Parts: sequence; structure tokens; C-alpha cells
Amino acid sequence: MSYKVIFKDLNEERELSGKTTIRNLLEDLNISSETVVTKQNGEVVIEDSQIEDGDEIQIIQIIYGG
Amino acid sequence: MVVCTKCGNPKVVISRKQSGQFLCSDCFIESINKKVQQTIRRENLIQKGDKVMVALSGGKDSVVTLDILNSYYKRHVIDLCAVTIDEGIKGYRNEGVSIAKAHAKNLGIEHKVVKFKDCFSIDLDEIMEYENHRGSCTYCGVFRRWIINRTAREFNATKIATGHNLDDESQAILMNYLEGNINNLSALGALTTSKSPKFTPKIKPLREIPEKEIGLYAIVKGLDVHLAACPYAHESFRMEVGNILKDLSKQHPTIMYSILKGYDKIKPLVRENYPPQFHQGDCVKCGEPSSNELCRACTFLEELGHEVQL
Repeated sequence: MSYKVIFKDLNEERELSGKTTIRNLLEDLNISSETVVTKQNGEVVIEDSQIEDGDEIQIIQIIYGG
Repeated sequence: MVVCTKCGNPKVVISRKQSGQFLCSDCFIESINKKVQQTIRRENLIQKGDKVMVALSGGKDSVVTLDILNSYYKRHVIDLCAVTIDEGIKGYRNEGVSIAKAHAKNLGIEHKVVKFKDCFSIDLDEIMEYENHRGSCTYCGVFRRWIINRTAREFNATKIATGHNLDDESQAILMNYLEGNINNLSALGALTTSKSPKFTPKIKPLREIPEKEIGLYAIVKGLDVHLAACPYAHESFRMEVGNILKDLSKQHPTIMYSILKGYDKIKPLVRENYPPQFHQGDCVKCGEPSSNELCRACTFLEELGHEVQL
């Protein structure tokens, strides 16, 4: 089971192990949730949203320098 | 499962820590529009018949300001125009200028792109090559204000709208306080006026909206915005203060609102004893309002061996 992550130059397939939320992913990538908006399969979601097998997660940085 | 607090839609786009609300895209957009309209009404920012010039960089804050003010333009409450300033920052500014042009064209409003190089015969990248420069943000702020004031008069605009958000405003309050700059502190607010007829009043319709929500608004509405960091931003004291506030906000999500609200309460008292320093005369070189013989733009240009191109 896996999902795709797109963030700036990063475009990678990540393994999905157990229950993973957007919050877990952002923490893993060391990205402050206060500076980004996340889309899951093209739709804006909140950090509690759970990542499913085959998902495409796009992280858009909207605040710089923080 | 989490649903929109207002309509029950399960497609939630924001969880507001400061209020505990969850909102779907439609209710979120509506809440922002409503909040901005409240600010405009309460602070008396716009009168029917105003010609509002938006300082449009192409970034999220100015594009959202334009989008919200466009609803007043479409209802013929105001006339709308925009100015975009090209500071001459290689690899950064061009995309914003293109986006700004596209938005102005799309709305069918008057739009001017004004370059530092054309006004001052030097751009920001060239200034930063000087050894004893005063710091990028110092020049950028002074020169941009000079262009904005001048262009507003050329447009016959009655108001200048900027995209300052809650983060910007709380940073400005704290910065001026930390620097002991109480005269500048007392000039902050949703509406800035001056005794000089050469200054057009400035309004900040997004002053109570957090920066993150402005970014979210742009993305949810599908507005094309320039999302990039100014390569010179890391040099600023503003960014240091901004980082402190962002850290504090993690555990205290309402802290920026309290800074703003607290400031608004003490502002009348501060103004009484420390009034903003209005410019009494005109600069002998460029004719812009100035407290001294030379305005700050002409002072900086003189140091750099340049002068305003009139």
C-alpha cells in the first residue's frame, strides 16, 4: 500500500503503514502546518484527514519564511 | 466524522483553532467575505463613489484584496484600479507582475506597472550591491510608498487598498512597540489618513484575516497567485518578530487577534500623547510630502548617487 506526495520539487511514492493522517505526514516531512494548505486527490483537506492507499497528496506552501 | 459546523457538509477545508469551528469551502469563503465586509463597514473604509487603487503585487494578499473589492466594483459601489511595482528582483518579481496583469485584464480595470528602475534609475538588486546599504526592506518600503502615493494621484484614486493581513498588522504593532517607535505605532490601523492633500488615504480591508486563511481563500477559490518568498525577506526584523508570533500562536491561537484588539483599544490614548508625525512641507527635489528638506526617497537616492527621474 502506498500514496504519492507532491511538495515543491519532491514527487515521491511513500509506503502507507497503518493509520496515517495529513498531520503525521507534515510532521514526518518537518513542515509547519501553519504555512501550508494540503490537497488530497485534488480537494483541500484538514490535517485530521486520513491518507488512503493510492492517494495523491499535494502540499502547497502559502506562507514563506516562518 | 468531522462536518462543517454551519451546514453539515462533510468536505471540511479548515479547522479553526481559535474558535473551534470546522468549515466547508462555501461556508469558509462566505465567512471571510462577511468578516472583511464587517471591517469595511465598522471602520468606514469605503464610501460610495470611491475610486480604490489596489497595490497589486500578484501575491495572495493583494489578489484576495482585489477579489473581495471586485464585489463592490461589480455592484457599482466603487471604481477600481491597480498598480504593480517592479522592484527589479531577478528571478522573483516577473511572475507576480504577469499574474497581476492577468487579474487586472480579467476584471477590465485600469492597471499600471511601475518600475524602480524607471523612477529612480536604479533597481533593488543594484542597490544591494552597495557595500554600506541600509538593508533591502528599508529601501523597498520607502520607494514603494513613493510610487504608490504618486500613482494614486495619477489615477485620481480616493483610497489606496493594501493586502495587509492579521499577521502583518500584529507584527507591525509589536515591532513598533519593541523599537520604542510610539509615533509610528499610533499611525497604524485599518485606515491611515494624512493632513497633506498629496497623500491618498490607505485602507487595509484584510487586517483581521490571518495570513493562512488568505492563502486558503485563494486556493479554494482557484485564484492564480504568486506563491514565492522574496529573496531579501530573511534580512528583516519583521520576519524575526513574525517567527516569534507564529511560535506563540501554536499554543495560543488567538494571540494575534488579542494584539490587534488590545492595540485598537489603547490607540486613542497613544495618539493623544504621541500623534503620528505628519509631513508639513514638500521635498525640494521631488515635491512629495516631507517633514525635512529632502524626503526619505530622495535622501536614500542621494546616498546612492542617484535621483528621482521626473
